[in-house]
Amino acid sequence: MTTKTSLLKVILLGDGGVGKSSLMNRYVTNKFDAHLFHTIGVEFLNKELEVDGHQVTLQIWDTAGQERFRSLRTPFYRGSDCCLLTFSVDDSQSFLNLGNWKKEFIYYADVKEPEKFPFVVLGNKLDVTERQVSAEEAQEWCKENGDFPYYETSAKDATNVAVAFEEAVRRVLASEERTDHLIPTDTVKLHRKPRSAATCCS
Amino acid sequence: MAELLPPDVRRCTYFFLYDGSKVKGEGDRTREGICYFYPEETPLDRQELLCGQLAGVGRCVSELSFSPVRILRLRRNKFAIRMKDDFFWVSVDAAGPAADFQDGSGFVSSEYESVMVIQRIYLCRSFQALGCSVEVPIVSVCELLDQLIDLFCFYNGSVRQSYQLSSQEFLAARWARYLSHLQSGSSELHHIFSCLRTIDSTNVDPLLLLKAALILQACQRCPLVLAGCILFRGRVVSTQMCPELTMKVMVHESETYTKTPAAHCSSGPFGGAVSSVTVFLTLSELQYLQSAPVNKHLSSESTPQKETPRRKTRLSRTLSDMPSTDSDPSDRGSLQSPQLESFSPQLSDSSVFSPVPSHSATDPLHPPTQPLQPPFSNGKHSSEAEDEALEEPSYYHSFHSNGGDSQTDASVFEENCQVLNGGGDGGGDGGGDGGAACGTVFDFREAANDESHDGKEDGCRSAPEPPRPPHCGAFDDPEQSQLVPMTLYLHRVKGLVLALLVEPLFLSDTASMEEVYHSSLASLNGLEAHLRTVAPGAPGAPGPYVFAHFDHIQSTLTTNLSGGPGGAPERPFVRATSLLHSHFCNTETLQEAIIRSAGAAVYGTRSVAQETYFQQHGGSFRNSGIPNHQDSAFSLPGKARHRLLKHGVNLL
Repeated sequence: MTTKTSLLKVILLGDGGVGKSSLMNRYVTNKFDAHLFHTIGVEFLNKELEVDGHQVTLQIWDTAGQERFRSLRTPFYRGSDCCLLTFSVDDSQSFLNLGNWKKEFIYYADVKEPEKFPFVVLGNKLDVTERQVSAEEAQEWCKENGDFPYYETSAKDATNVAVAFEEAVRRVLASEERTDHLIPTDTVKLHRKPRSAATCCS
Repeated sequence: MAELLPPDVRRCTYFFLYDGSKVKGEGDRTREGICYFYPEETPLDRQELLCGQLAGVGRCVSELSFSPVRILRLRRNKFAIRMKDDFFWVSVDAAGPAADFQDGSGFVSSEYESVMVIQRIYLCRSFQALGCSVEVPIVSVCELLDQLIDLFCFYNGSVRQSYQLSSQEFLAARWARYLSHLQSGSSELHHIFSCLRTIDSTNVDPLLLLKAALILQACQRCPLVLAGCILFRGRVVSTQMCPELTMKVMVHESETYTKTPAAHCSSGPFGGAVSSVTVFLTLSELQYLQSAPVNKHLSSESTPQKETPRRKTRLSRTLSDMPSTDSDPSDRGSLQSPQLESFSPQLSDSSVFSPVPSHSATDPLHPPTQPLQPPFSNGKHSSEAEDEALEEPSYYHSFHSNGGDSQTDASVFEENCQVLNGGGDGGGDGGGDGGAACGTVFDFREAANDESHDGKEDGCRSAPEPPRPPHCGAFDDPEQSQLVPMTLYLHRVKGLVLALLVEPLFLSDTASMEEVYHSSLASLNGLEAHLRTVAPGAPGAPGPYVFAHFDHIQSTLTTNLSGGPGGAPERPFVRATSLLHSHFCNTETLQEAIIRSAGAAVYGTRSVAQETYFQQHGGSFRNSGIPNHQDSAFSLPGKARHRLLKHGVNLL
């Protein structure tokens, strides 16, 4: 459980068209393409960065938001260290669906302790003038659902994108540190759990 | 000479390139002319014997007949031969025991009795040949040789120039590599059809094929990118290129897969994942790739999908797009429903043919012709056609004379050996009228024209070629036409490779390179992850039937055969398929056939775009004597139609 140059897998989930791919591209290549096609299945990019003295390789998994791609994307939820629930501030439905995305992730990623899993919520398309979801609404939802950090981003003009991903890294590192602390007291259980989970499920 | 050739499991037992210009005087030793000989461990005196004899025979016959030799058939081996300038290529396939299907079936021997196929005029002081066993269809032997030569020219430029610029040892390694690539991995069925190796689409979500196609399209947003293909573990996932070009590209891919790209690696921002190599395209290949975006779009949309529904749409579109068939009395374009009812019992007693009446009616339309100026190119279909020419010399003309008129409307038919164009304009130099021949189209046009010009002008280059239709010039003889250097760009993500044919400028255009790299990287990562997790798919219990479905247009094969070498129960099927394929190529009008041995009956049917072979296991066949209507073999067509629907093969 070393945190030095570790590979962290974060996954972007959310309705189709909220800007998951654009967020990833903005963060990794600092480019924005307004004419991206629907993502089919999953895609990912790696980015190396340093957060609070920890050298990490962030592996950002971008997923297809459309329902018809569900069977393609869900197998790749497993092993995620952090989940970025994304909606578009100009699309209230995408906000309302956040709960479903969370459920879907917890189910397919086979998260053992959902209440402790690091989620980060992103409200994208901040650059759009006509909002349908207010910052207050979003923050309230985050608070109710587990006190998730909330960021309003714009992949188009790069607002808050890096900050959000770095926060994701911090969350992961923090939760790993917590589990690190547990090791001396609960060694056996920690190591056994994931394995037994792998065999008894599915 | 047969004792020289030990039976072997390899597809090709001998291959050599012989340069006649080095052996001119009495004192010149044959070995001086041997540029490359495979297997390389063959003792030199044996090499000399084989090269000397074959080159001698080839030259003798071609000088007598004013026509180069294409096939030499010995008792147990076939030699595909290609002569060009001073070069002579030969390759031999593994000899095998006599086939059970050959026993007692008249039509089989009729094919194999043909000792020599003579065609095309060349200035033939050079010699290249490839030898195969008699069991391998002539078509496939010639295709193998052509593929080999095309591959060499693709990566090295013209043969003459290569041997001027590079050492013999260096080029020997190249030949060896191409040979081993062509012989590796594939199943025997793949060899018979010379088809592309594709991923097993039955286990792959069609959406992933779409994803691959979209990646390629995205790359084409860069104008320096001509076309591309995506390969996974040596198999085609999606391609925008014609099958012949895709096949060539795959060689480099497999090369870089086995070793880290070193020689041509462009280091830099992309690390070792990206490499590039110079390749040489024929003019027509290039023109096809540079053709209007709309064509590119079409091709990219339709070619990649091995997925069956798409293929079906492709097929139907192809067929509905053929106004030219109005002039085709035989109307071979439509998917004929099998007409076993029309089968005539007076045909061979061990095989059942069901020629569609209207088709047989087209035969007499081919006028006899003087075989002095056989027009075929070295393209793969010429070799098929050449087999044809054995039985029907008049086809020379029907091919030959399509030089001019078919160029605009023929593009949907290029891939098809049985479709001939006797366009009647006498466009070729053969001068035969061919006018009465059926007006189907056949895509030998450029090549045929070139060749015949060459013939007439003693090998001089023909004048700049007329504009070609937007189709890959797959039938160009790379040795004949000008080769244009281009760049093959490869981006590898583990087992997945994005291969792009790009303008040479691309490598120096950092912005373009970065754009292509970054726009595709995430998708390639994802696609690789998807494909890696695709279950290989249980081979499945051997079903109650086996089938093979070959798509001429895409050069792809669908089969439920495991493909492993030497599966004993599969032998009869593979062998029958080989024979039927060869026969389909020989006999233009043949649409359906059932071929039987004591233990098996295999049904074959073909249309303009595809060939399908089917064998039902477990049935008891009462095969002796004259076929009667209760013979279970006659239920094969119905069973095939029924069973193959679920594999996406529609024989209706």
